[in-house]
Amino acid sequence: MATLEALLIDLTLRVTDLQQLNAILGDPQTTALITGGLVAFAAALPGTFLLLRKLAMTTDAISHTVLLGIVLAFLLLAALPGLEADLNSPWLIFGAALAGLATVLLTGAIQRSGLVKEDAALGLVFPLLFAIAIILISRLTDDVHLDSDAVILGEIGVVWADARSHCLQDCEPVHITPDDPRAETGRRCTNCAELDIGPRDPAAEFEEYCLNCGRYTTAEAWRARLVPQAPTQVFWPRAITSMLLVALLNLAFILLFYKELKLGTFDPALAAALGLRPALLNTALMVLVSITAVAAFDAVGSVLVVAFFIIPPATAWLLSDRLAHILLLAPLGGVLASFTGYEFSRGNLLGIAQMRDLLQLLDETIGLDGFTEWNTSISAAIVLMMFLFFLLAWVFSPRQGLLLSLLQHRARRQHFAEQLLLGHVHHHQGTAEAASELAQDRLHLHLGWTPRRTQRVLMRLRLRDLVASEDGTLQLTARGERSVRRFMALRGAGGASPAGD
Amino acid sequence: MSLAGGRNWRTVAALLALSLAVIPLSLALGNIRVDYTLVTVAAGGAVLGIVCGVLGSFAVLRQQSLLGDALSHAALPGVALAFLLAGRELGWLLLGAGIASWLGVLLINSLVRRTRLKQDAAMGVVLAAFFALGITLLTYIQSRNDASQAGLDQFIFGQAAAIRRQDVVLISALGLAAFLVLIALWKEFKLITFDPAFAQANGFPLRLLDVTLSTLIVIAIVLGLQLAGVVLMVGLLIAPAVAARQWTRQLDQMLVLAGIFGGLAGAGGAIFSGLQQGLPTGPLIIVVAVAIVALSIALAPERGLLWRAWRQRRDRQRFAAQQVLQDIHRHATQHQDPRYPAPGGMLVALRGPLARPALRQLQREGLLQAGADDDWTLSERGLERAQAAARNQLLWERYRQFGEELGLPAVTVDPQQPIDRLLPAAALARLETLD
Repeated sequence: MATLEALLIDLTLRVTDLQQLNAILGDPQTTALITGGLVAFAAALPGTFLLLRKLAMTTDAISHTVLLGIVLAFLLLAALPGLEADLNSPWLIFGAALAGLATVLLTGAIQRSGLVKEDAALGLVFPLLFAIAIILISRLTDDVHLDSDAVILGEIGVVWADARSHCLQDCEPVHITPDDPRAETGRRCTNCAELDIGPRDPAAEFEEYCLNCGRYTTAEAWRARLVPQAPTQVFWPRAITSMLLVALLNLAFILLFYKELKLGTFDPALAAALGLRPALLNTALMVLVSITAVAAFDAVGSVLVVAFFIIPPATAWLLSDRLAHILLLAPLGGVLASFTGYEFSRGNLLGIAQMRDLLQLLDETIGLDGFTEWNTSISAAIVLMMFLFFLLAWVFSPRQGLLLSLLQHRARRQHFAEQLLLGHVHHHQGTAEAASELAQDRLHLHLGWTPRRTQRVLMRLRLRDLVASEDGTLQLTARGERSVRRFMALRGAGGASPAGD
Repeated sequence: MSLAGGRNWRTVAALLALSLAVIPLSLALGNIRVDYTLVTVAAGGAVLGIVCGVLGSFAVLRQQSLLGDALSHAALPGVALAFLLAGRELGWLLLGAGIASWLGVLLINSLVRRTRLKQDAAMGVVLAAFFALGITLLTYIQSRNDASQAGLDQFIFGQAAAIRRQDVVLISALGLAAFLVLIALWKEFKLITFDPAFAQANGFPLRLLDVTLSTLIVIAIVLGLQLAGVVLMVGLLIAPAVAARQWTRQLDQMLVLAGIFGGLAGAGGAIFSGLQQGLPTGPLIIVVAVAIVALSIALAPERGLLWRAWRQRRDRQRFAAQQVLQDIHRHATQHQDPRYPAPGGMLVALRGPLARPALRQLQREGLLQAGADDDWTLSERGLERAQAAARNQLLWERYRQFGEELGLPAVTVDPQQPIDRLLPAAALARLETLD
């Protein structure tokens, strides 16, 4: 990890200078943005395949059970001698991946017994594992920072605080010896304790000793003013490295196994017949989900991480039905939602409105006792943004949007009404009852419509020169006649009237 | 049918008695002091467990188990809004939770109906989005710094210990109302659970009934939230039902059993959490409920794993015995003496390690006689049995070969079945005389 970070720092320093880098990394806002974007990117990739495989709820289950893996690995580390129990240990990620795998395998085993259906099996396994984890956590001592609130919610805003320092320049550790000019010396009584006398006693003997001798790391030496120059340091947030690693891992997996994943998703039987081992690939996908969920834990918490897996791919799926497009759109949408969501958590709703003004409005209308301070969890705000994008995609989708189907429905209704009216005129014109059936002001009675609707339909037909009126009686124009004939030929209706009256 | 039903009801009664016995037993064994709080909490746990168990059965049978997970998360914004508008009063919080979950159901349903998203994705989207909204509202409430907000996060993890006596009364009343609706619409719910297509074809208002049933499930979730919390709610909803399903095939018995198991888990978990300071109630309830599922899966008659393993073993032994008997008979026939003894070693070599227990069993049944030197001879009855089996086998063989040609009635070929019972006498006579 540390070497990777050093490499990253080296790379970033080629495009920017040190001051800027430290300003970026030390700023809660930019680190939260970077981390949120990375989580969204990393989660959307495996999320897409899970969504298409109808395993969306499995991500929910896994994101809960990895907690048990973390707790068990933590307890194991604490019990083993020589290993330090540390919440940043990579062993925890290992434990979490195992727990995610265990969830999937256990669910599969229960399901294969034939006694419990798949959904119920999942619904049994993950509450059980999560419950055990919560019970174990409640047994842990208080000095362990692993409370269940933090796990459920996470807080992306404090990611910057958990950083590893990297020293770039003036990094020599300082070793002060008694001969060093920087050494400070003092005197102490050597026989006072022995003789039970005070230091002022004439019998007291003294020796000189060094006050500040010893080894100092660079940072300590700077703090103790032992070195004239501050070491050049970069504080690199750990979450960024781990999320970046996970994002790269997911990306590499999907690029490498794109063909296999695609076939395994849409035609598992064929994939199996071709020897592509779809079951193995599925397991690998679950491991990736577990690892992503764990890495994202600190940032977004165990419940909301589900949104990062599911909502952006679902949004992309509403917009396109090509796998490659979904795989491009989903991470992009997720990253966009992270950025706008971060702004939203600070009160800026997509640049359209300020939450403070909205709350003030609410305060004036329904009364909030004057609490108009907008303050929310960043990850929740990101998820809400994702949901907003999802709703927008649902309404405006060019393929299956609500708006589109509404317009289509309307167009069909209008078309049908027009045909009905034309048919009615066609049926009755030139007959004895034409005067009563086709009187313009009585037409709505025959069609069973309201007068306004009849007027609207007539207006549209007149504009298109399909119908004309003569002394208040309707007649088809030549164009109208053609239109009716075409319609009837299309329906194969022959001479039968479409408007029975 | 009625006989089987009667036996199953006896199973239900026995399990009820067992469950009732477990609670005082665990109190005695755990050396738990019974006080007013414990009684209230255990009673609340039991009532909630019963309601969730009974109503959750429908979620399990309709393969919507995870709906419980989605809806329990979806309840959170409702809880927070109700708190904002009406303060910390259980009735209002439940109403808010109910409305939010109910909106969640409608959104899931319309997503499934109107987009290409499947049920799982729709549930995932609603779960995460509603939960995020809830968190947003909760952080807003926390920023107001009301002293009374304490305890709101109990809705996330559940806090049975906070249940008061009037809460138990309210929960019982709501649960009772849900049960009354269930009884009134019993036939309809049964139909849309097991054969929705048939229900629709017969003019039942499918969507209305669907929403009504979902509403009942929402009620169960909303009530159970206080006990198990948002995350674990799904376990409380489905574990009792899954356990009950193992013991019976009838809906009414399953609901009663699920109620019993749910009550046991709710009360049991509440009692266990009294064992030690700081033990969380919700997770303990889930552990008890899943333990009941594990026991049921292992022990349930006819379906359970133990029962299945035992039956498989019995079948295998029976088959081996039959084979060994025929082997001895064939051996004797080859030597043209029906009493010609067969060496045990040969039989083991032929049929594997199951041959020894098979020989002992056949001896017990009086079909074989053991000779001095691990030799086995057919007894009178053994000879009859072996001859009958050989004839059965031969007739099956002939039927398989010539049955169609002779125009005999079509039956499934199964040499383990006595052919006499499956074919009419005339057909058997044709097969016998065939040569």
